[in-house]
Amino acid sequence: METFKYILKRIIQTIPLLIMVSIISFFIIRLSPVDPLAELKLNPSISPETVEAERQRLGLDKPIIVQYGKWAISFVQGDLGVTSNGEKVSQKLKERIPNTLLLTSLVILLTWLVGVPLGIIAAVKWKTNFDRILTVLTSIGMAIPSFFFAVLLLLFAVKTGWFPIGGLTSPNFADMTFGQKFLDITHHLILPVFVLFTISLAGLQRQMRANMLDVLDSDYVKFARAKGLPEHLVIYKHALRNAVNPMITLLGFEFAGLLSGAALTEYVFQYPGLGRLILEAVLKSDINLVMASLMMGAVMLIVGNLIADILLIITDPRIRVKS
Amino acid sequence: MIIGVLCKACLVKDVPTSSKNTTSSTENSLAQTYPTPKNVTIDGIDYLQSQAPIGKFGGELISSTLGEGPKTFNPFNSKDNTSSTMSAVMYDGLLSTNPVTGQPSPKLAKSYSISPDGKTYTFELRKGIHWSDGKPITADDIVFTWNDIIFAGYGDTSLRDSIVIEGKLPTVRKIDNYTVEFTTPKPYAPFIRVLSASIAPKHIFMPAIKKGKKYFDSFLSTNTKPEDFVVSGAFKLKEYVPAQRVVFEKNPNYYEINTNGDKLPYLERLIYLIVGDQNNEVLKFEAKELDVIGLQGAKVARYKSLEPHSDFKLHNLGPTNGTMYLSVNLNNRKDKDGKYYVNPTKQKWFNDINFRTAIDYTIDRRNMVFNIANGIGAPLHTPESLNSIYLNKELKAFEKDTQKAKEYLEKSGFYTDKKGHLYDKENNRVEFDLYTNAGNTEREAIGVMVKQDLEELGMKVNFKPIEFNSLVNKLVSTFDWDMVIMGLTGSPLEPNGGKNVWLSNGRLHMFNMRTPEEGKANILPWEKELDEIFDKGALATKFEDRKKYYDRYQEIIYEQRPMIYIYSPVVIMAIRDKFKNIYPSSLGGITHNIEEIYIGE
Repeated sequence: METFKYILKRIIQTIPLLIMVSIISFFIIRLSPVDPLAELKLNPSISPETVEAERQRLGLDKPIIVQYGKWAISFVQGDLGVTSNGEKVSQKLKERIPNTLLLTSLVILLTWLVGVPLGIIAAVKWKTNFDRILTVLTSIGMAIPSFFFAVLLLLFAVKTGWFPIGGLTSPNFADMTFGQKFLDITHHLILPVFVLFTISLAGLQRQMRANMLDVLDSDYVKFARAKGLPEHLVIYKHALRNAVNPMITLLGFEFAGLLSGAALTEYVFQYPGLGRLILEAVLKSDINLVMASLMMGAVMLIVGNLIADILLIITDPRIRVKS
Repeated sequence: MIIGVLCKACLVKDVPTSSKNTTSSTENSLAQTYPTPKNVTIDGIDYLQSQAPIGKFGGELISSTLGEGPKTFNPFNSKDNTSSTMSAVMYDGLLSTNPVTGQPSPKLAKSYSISPDGKTYTFELRKGIHWSDGKPITADDIVFTWNDIIFAGYGDTSLRDSIVIEGKLPTVRKIDNYTVEFTTPKPYAPFIRVLSASIAPKHIFMPAIKKGKKYFDSFLSTNTKPEDFVVSGAFKLKEYVPAQRVVFEKNPNYYEINTNGDKLPYLERLIYLIVGDQNNEVLKFEAKELDVIGLQGAKVARYKSLEPHSDFKLHNLGPTNGTMYLSVNLNNRKDKDGKYYVNPTKQKWFNDINFRTAIDYTIDRRNMVFNIANGIGAPLHTPESLNSIYLNKELKAFEKDTQKAKEYLEKSGFYTDKKGHLYDKENNRVEFDLYTNAGNTEREAIGVMVKQDLEELGMKVNFKPIEFNSLVNKLVSTFDWDMVIMGLTGSPLEPNGGKNVWLSNGRLHMFNMRTPEEGKANILPWEKELDEIFDKGALATKFEDRKKYYDRYQEIIYEQRPMIYIYSPVVIMAIRDKFKNIYPSSLGGITHNIEEIYIGE
């Protein structure tokens, strides 16, 4: 019951936060000097009447505050509006979200499956050659900018011909059998997943290693060892459970990055995800699309943090006692 | 100053010699003449017959489109280039444009005639040709398209707006099942060009029209199932994958045949990959994921060196319809508060023809082509682009001549002091601002070189790249600018499309922009002549008569120099050798005859 009350409180707290985020984003976009009609105005074959009609259709003839009000009302009703080309925003997002989710969830799954164990091993084998080599490798991984690494890999793909140059499916995808389709997507995913994996693995592994080292140095671990518990029990039963707490907070942030974390890599690989869509929307000042993506990002961050907090309540008795 | 000159010298040297060759060496590919398809009637069906060599059936061509892909497949709703390209693949018009001569050529129409008074256009349609679902294409479809969609204001209305003549729209009526007649309220030559607009199948579009304009805006959108498209073009939509590709398949009912009587197109599929980034496009071509690509600047030299050991060939399609120019603000009027838009001292310089001529002679176009466009461009002196069918070839190009420029300045009493600074006869230092839109590296580079050139005359140029929207605002609303470097894309077929720029009360008459209240205030004699030329040019119907008018308009701009043209970029395309029946043309591009292209050995 206490937990439920806590969650409810947290959800109510997010409402003013979302309103603030939406107001700030809306005004920043609208007050920026990007005029969605500038191209039209400079096109000699477009009549002034058409420019005026476009202005009215996009609602640019009204004061910003009215524009915001209109947007907010339909947003609350669950209507994300239409893009500047008249397509449904929800439809555009629906086309792209599954692709982005596929990429990011694969990456998160892989990094956690590999990064956490690697962190534990590195901590246990602290100051051995294995730890040192891993430290060098992860430092490199953290230092490479993702877009640069992505470009390098694309050049590699061109030279060797082993991998496709971006995208998610081959042109003849529709004619393939299920098995071929699976292989085709895997083939296209290898490079972008590799880029994102390398970069987030480095951070995660080092985080886990640091946590684990802290815990291994604590009194209760020394005590457990002193009373003669077997080493694997010391590490997996006592040390790990305490070392994993900060990682759960991190998992909350990973959740927030599910939809927006891969934008740069998506762009370089021309991956059909949200990244390209949002970039184009920002450049064209396509307000409904940009707002939808910003709100989505905010909601994801809030939900991610909430999930992390709930998980912490479950795993950490200390927090339960306090609340 | 000296450093500037030195730097320019080294820039010129840096240009690889190969890029100089490209502009000339590929001219021969243009010389191959395109065998225009003919009309033939077999068993009562009026086919269009390809005259190109007979090819093999099958295979696919993979092209690309930059950006985020089409926004709609409805030809009447498309507002962007990609959407128009995609719908043009599927929906043919009555006419199209001959890729070599630029004259109208029959497509869905078998033939057409224009009455002697220039007001009535009679079209004879092909008998026995069908939509992709098997229904015949008849006069009803044409009348429906024009009356119920275009004239009724459905979808994008810019086409309708462009043919309102003195407040009235043309009319269209059915004579019989295979004859249609258009009548314009006055003779209006540009009308023939809009008749290439796509024709819609009445039995598919009628229900959508009945549901109203709002419904029509989302009709045949990118979410429509491919089976629901009924088309007249060579290809029909097969699959659309957002942000990845658009796949078209052969339309078995297409009305073009080869000389064997087999139905075209040869290709089974036409695929456009949706690529958001030019660099990725180049990589895709190198990895053989693309069959055809347009190349720019520095990449051309590299591809030229790759060409001999590769499976592709470069084609020089010649200058594009894009133009780069330097415009001078001739505005000498006051705003509502009684303030001059342009400083009166500067007004005197800008309105002085000798001053403008001096600028024209100082600009080193050739140098800019080599250094900014990497040699892939052509110097330009006229407002019509170099591939325009109305280009006035009498107007001679000239080289940079600083001495001549100085003579012109002296004529108007300008003088230089010991430091080389230029003063007018009232002892004002010649100093002005030069704008362009920030972020466009090409225009910024032109700005830097124009500044260097003008400083040779002792002028002080403050080059200010500013944000695009602020620049547009200056040009069309506040008029507070001195000189600007901009680009415009005109039509190589129809100079009348530029009337908004040249008419003295035009919406884009930037160099002497008037507010709607001012009307035609302070009109200059040559502006008046331009107004007359554009009125007469639109009303004349014979090409030869129109050519005379538009020759004169180019001459006026060439002499008066309100806009000083700099260069046109040149289009270089690469296509894989395996594709045959390639007849590149400046007007049509490289795949204008997509139905005739086939894959050879």
